[in-house]
Amino acid sequence: MAIYTSEHRRLMEMLHPGRHQEYSEVLSSLGAFMEKEILPLSPKLDAGGASIAGPRRALFEQGMTLIPFPAEHGGLGLPFSVYATAVELLGSADASVALSVEIHNAVAEGLLRFGNASQREKYLRGVITGKTLASFALTEPASGSDSGSMATTAERKGGEFTINGSKMFITNAGEAGLYLVFAKTKKGPSCFLLEAPSPGLKFGGDLKKLGMRGSRTSEVVFEGCRVPEENLLGEEGQGGEYAKEILHGARIVVAALNVGISQIAYNKSVAYARSRKAFGKTISDFQLIREKIADMKTGISAGRLLYLYAARVKELGGDYASEASQAKVFATEMSLKACDEAIQIHGGYGYTTDDLHRHWRDARLLTIGEGTSEVLRMLISRKELARAQ
Amino acid sequence: MKIAVCVKHAVDETELKLDANGSPVLAGAPGKMSSFDKNAVEEGLRLKAKHQGEVVVFVVGTADSKKSLKEALAMGADRGVLVTSDPLSLDSFRVASMLAAAIRMSGPYDVVICSEGSSDTYTGQVPPMLAEFLGLPYVGYAKKIGVEGGAAKLERSLEDSVESVEAPVPFAVSVVSEINEPRYPTLIQIMQAGKKPIEELVGDQVAPLGDYSQVGVKSMSSQPSVRKHVMIGGTPDEAAAKLVEALVKEGVLK
Amino acid sequence: MKSVWVYSESESVSNEVASAAVGVAEGAGAMVQVVDIGASRPGAFSPGGKLLLKGPHPDITPALAAEALARAARELQPLVLLTGATRTGREIAARFAAKMRVGCMAEVANLSADGASFSGDRNVFAGKVVARVSCQFPAAATVKVGSYPKMAAGEGVVQEKEVGEVSDPVRVVGREKKAAGAVDLKSAKVIVSAGRGVKKKEDLPMLEELASEMHGALGCSRPLSADLGWLPEEHHIGLTGVTVKPDLYLAVGISGQLQHVAGMKDSKVVASINTDKDAPIFQASDYGIVGDLYQLVPALRKALASRAR
Repeated sequence: MAIYTSEHRRLMEMLHPGRHQEYSEVLSSLGAFMEKEILPLSPKLDAGGASIAGPRRALFEQGMTLIPFPAEHGGLGLPFSVYATAVELLGSADASVALSVEIHNAVAEGLLRFGNASQREKYLRGVITGKTLASFALTEPASGSDSGSMATTAERKGGEFTINGSKMFITNAGEAGLYLVFAKTKKGPSCFLLEAPSPGLKFGGDLKKLGMRGSRTSEVVFEGCRVPEENLLGEEGQGGEYAKEILHGARIVVAALNVGISQIAYNKSVAYARSRKAFGKTISDFQLIREKIADMKTGISAGRLLYLYAARVKELGGDYASEASQAKVFATEMSLKACDEAIQIHGGYGYTTDDLHRHWRDARLLTIGEGTSEVLRMLISRKELARAQ
Repeated sequence: MKIAVCVKHAVDETELKLDANGSPVLAGAPGKMSSFDKNAVEEGLRLKAKHQGEVVVFVVGTADSKKSLKEALAMGADRGVLVTSDPLSLDSFRVASMLAAAIRMSGPYDVVICSEGSSDTYTGQVPPMLAEFLGLPYVGYAKKIGVEGGAAKLERSLEDSVESVEAPVPFAVSVVSEINEPRYPTLIQIMQAGKKPIEELVGDQVAPLGDYSQVGVKSMSSQPSVRKHVMIGGTPDEAAAKLVEALVKEGVLK
Repeated sequence: MKSVWVYSESESVSNEVASAAVGVAEGAGAMVQVVDIGASRPGAFSPGGKLLLKGPHPDITPALAAEALARAARELQPLVLLTGATRTGREIAARFAAKMRVGCMAEVANLSADGASFSGDRNVFAGKVVARVSCQFPAAATVKVGSYPKMAAGEGVVQEKEVGEVSDPVRVVGREKKAAGAVDLKSAKVIVSAGRGVKKKEDLPMLEELASEMHGALGCSRPLSADLGWLPEEHHIGLTGVTVKPDLYLAVGISGQLQHVAGMKDSKVVASINTDKDAPIFQASDYGIVGDLYQLVPALRKALASRAR
């Protein structure tokens, strides 16, 4: 079964009448590429038998990361919903690669939105073409989404800043050539572009994770790291706002990623339910299995519509913070449930087969990462209560 | 060097659905470029990279076949020609005669490349028929093509031998899938492919249906699965022993 | 009396096609003629005897064969030309059909004829579907190799026909036998076939030994020969590789893409080992074991050895 399905095609047609065929050509070609070059590697990435660098490089060369960026910067200038769909497909092919690429591109979006002309000139093309891998360094050992309480500092002296402190759970850490680092100056949380390698920039070991094992996650330590003044992104003291803005977009993409994970777990479950026999019938004939399949499918469809809706609001220039968070809360929680049911449908095989339970393990990250469900519910309710006034 | 590559917009056999009677549902079935044809396009592009010139891609089929042309254009072909016709009523003879007419109209070409057969019906008849209609020397099942001046050296892969052959240019050739590894178009190339020209010809006009005995399909049905589907469990040693026992009982293991 | 012509570059295939021709001739009220080009070969005769086309050099290319056959056919007006669906036979039949402006059925089995037309079964969509195709006479067709018994050698009249010299601008300047793989696989009673589940080339000897302990030969799926180059392409079993039908086909670490299954689905018994219980190969298998080939292959060898003792 192809990753890019007639359902995706239909949604593109509804979202982008007139341009949908072109978008579908891009997405179906990308889907076919992922199916042949990424999907077969996925079990090995999970088991530690393959490096993420190869498949990620291949995706960069295909141009996946160019999708949402304007042509003047070397991008494809396609809508955000096309990019989010591409990440969904990648989530089906391999969640770890999707996570790495998604965060990389979130940095690129930050550069595009908040960087000045010379920063964009210097870094953006390299990042979106994948020449430079990017990493997003916000979370700290003692602080997550509340950027105000971060402990990492940046001290201005002469024409440069000196960064001290550490960041935790950083995807692509140690591999990236460019870090978007959030640190407090006298004026508050600020955002810096730090090139690697750099004296004083150090990395912890690869953290042993429950899932997303193909991607690298570690601590990043700054011991007097010096960053030239011109690498301050946007305005000093505005870093907290930038982080929020970048994460709103990333949440749409993370929702898509989890829909992708759910879809592959669903595909495997349907195939299994149709072939496995019990009591003289295939188990897909049992109503209790059918209920699971119906609920999985309904959840996946709903998650997909939510992230595409948020993406479309973003494309049209609206305030999409609540919509993005709704999509993420729903899709990540839905995917945990769907991947759990996939294990249940597979019975003993589900519990004992890496290639199946890894979907649940992968999905498990994202009710936590890039904004916990709890924080996002606060955000949604705050936004919606304000809207209701 | 002018290079013509013929492709087929084939039924995607992996997406093919069967109806309640076990017949394939062909109306509206999703299509794709026949997988082996990507090797033909790739070989055309490699020849162009070496000898300069132009790669023109031909397809016979409905408007949907443009998708295959676009894919070839994204890979790097220069332009496409769609010969419109209802593919369900075509046999190899008709397809070859339409391709021949279209190629003649935009020719002459130095090399005409097809793949060994299509991934859906795999008759392998169109390439030699096309060569006959075009009056070109033909080498089937090539696994290597080298053109030097007015002559080509090829390796022809047969069931039990490989022949080295020499052909004058122009010539027609079918390639086996071992000949190369087709490239993936990048997303940029896919988007730019939309701007490359596609010419449309009407099949019945360029090659009117002559008087010949057309091959028709009387019926289609799914292959009944006669396999037992016995899954053997247990530890590796237990499973292996059970399998050997079953195979001996079947009389297939001595 | 009208005739059904049989021609193949291979004598053994020619004997199979002659068997197929008998049914067509009966249904059409015609006789079977086995055609030789350049020089007479021993082998299958039919009640209709032989037709020897004289003129071309016996070392003949598909283009020459098709031209010689077409020249003779314009005069002698056979109902149909049947060739074997080999790479050479496909080209000859297709060229003949183009020259004679007749239809050409591809790779058919279960041939039958009624008066003015004939029909046959062929696999389409990588073997998912069987199509019954038909064509009015005059026509051409290639017959699926291995679908008919070989007709026994006999004796009969030889009709000779001068067709003159023919030439092919394509020159064969060398010919190299392929490694024995393909030949061995076609006749092997047992085939052990390796797929992507094999992690490195150095692991293949383990499977070779398993194959030899089962008195069989080693085949592979396309990635191992075409993409990785671990085995010569003659070992590649599938739609575009060798088609096999052994008594036992043991697929080891093969996922079972349609293109692969098309090359082995006529095997008598199929057994498979794969770590992925959803691998399509299990749908094409009589016996399946979900598990790691690195544990199961040694276990199988142990089981075979203990049986031998």
